[in-house]
Amino acid sequence: MKTEKNILENIGKASFTVPEGYFDDLRDRLGSIATPKVTAPGFFFRAKPYLALAACFVAILIAGTTILRNTVANDPTDLTFSEASYAQMAPFAIPEDYYQEIGYDLPTEELSDEDIIEYLIESGTQVELLAYAGNQ
Amino acid sequence: MTDNEIMDLYKAGQQERAFKKIVDSYSERLYWHVRHFLCSHEDTDDLLQEIFLKVWNGLPSFRTESRLYTWLYRIATNEALNFLQKKKVRAALQFESLSREMEVLIDDDPWLNGDELQRALLKAVQKLPKKQQLVFTMRWLEDMSYEDISEILGTSVGALKASYHFAVEKLKSELGKNF
Repeated sequence: MKTEKNILENIGKASFTVPEGYFDDLRDRLGSIATPKVTAPGFFFRAKPYLALAACFVAILIAGTTILRNTVANDPTDLTFSEASYAQMAPFAIPEDYYQEIGYDLPTEELSDEDIIEYLIESGTQVELLAYAGNQ
Repeated sequence: MTDNEIMDLYKAGQQERAFKKIVDSYSERLYWHVRHFLCSHEDTDDLLQEIFLKVWNGLPSFRTESRLYTWLYRIATNEALNFLQKKKVRAALQFESLSREMEVLIDDDPWLNGDELQRALLKAVQKLPKKQQLVFTMRWLEDMSYEDISEILGTSVGALKASYHFAVEKLKSELGKNF
């Protein structure tokens, strides 16, 4: 009677094979797994691009503000415009206070007819208009 | 170079050189070990990459109280079992069985030299319960000692011998059906 061992030995082992030169190639591939370990990047390294982006925004903001401040402050038309806007925004302001605030000196005494006539002449108001106004 | 010398090299700061020595000493042995479980050359080739990647990543935490040989075989065995488990799940999802898939692999494998009876034995091994399959493969196909198998699988020699005995009985019965 055959023993278990004999039965297995009679069958024998099937032999697996591999392509020619496979183990040399395998050793090369597996050997290349070993690479110097890279330490995990710290917080500053990871946040670096975001910090750079934020710095760019701040730089653009500062540059823009500086340029606008210089150009607007030196342009008299802008100044007049902003003052006029201010006047529109505060329609209930007392006119005398407003003009004093922006540096105009208002005459303290009441205007006489002479003052008015002088002003009309100097401003080049046409006589026809004056006549028309007088008839109203 | 012995395992201890390799680990001394590793501890001396020459990690890459030590790893290459491990590859030189164990790549072929672990290939055959895994191949006996997976049968397919392509699957074994893919899995070996993962196994050695785990070895490289695990070397810093390897404790020299256990043998390097045991540690490497344990990683390879676990990875092979995990691979088969995933394959089993995939097969189940396609309403197929793993053993049927393995039979097809054995029949179609161009890198397997074996007669009909030898192929039938390999197919029958695939149908064994996992523990018996492990013990039979390591003992019969790889000629490993019970002591080494015991260290790798963490099972007593007595239990291994019993598993081997049951495996042989089942194989005899399975092969008797066909021949």
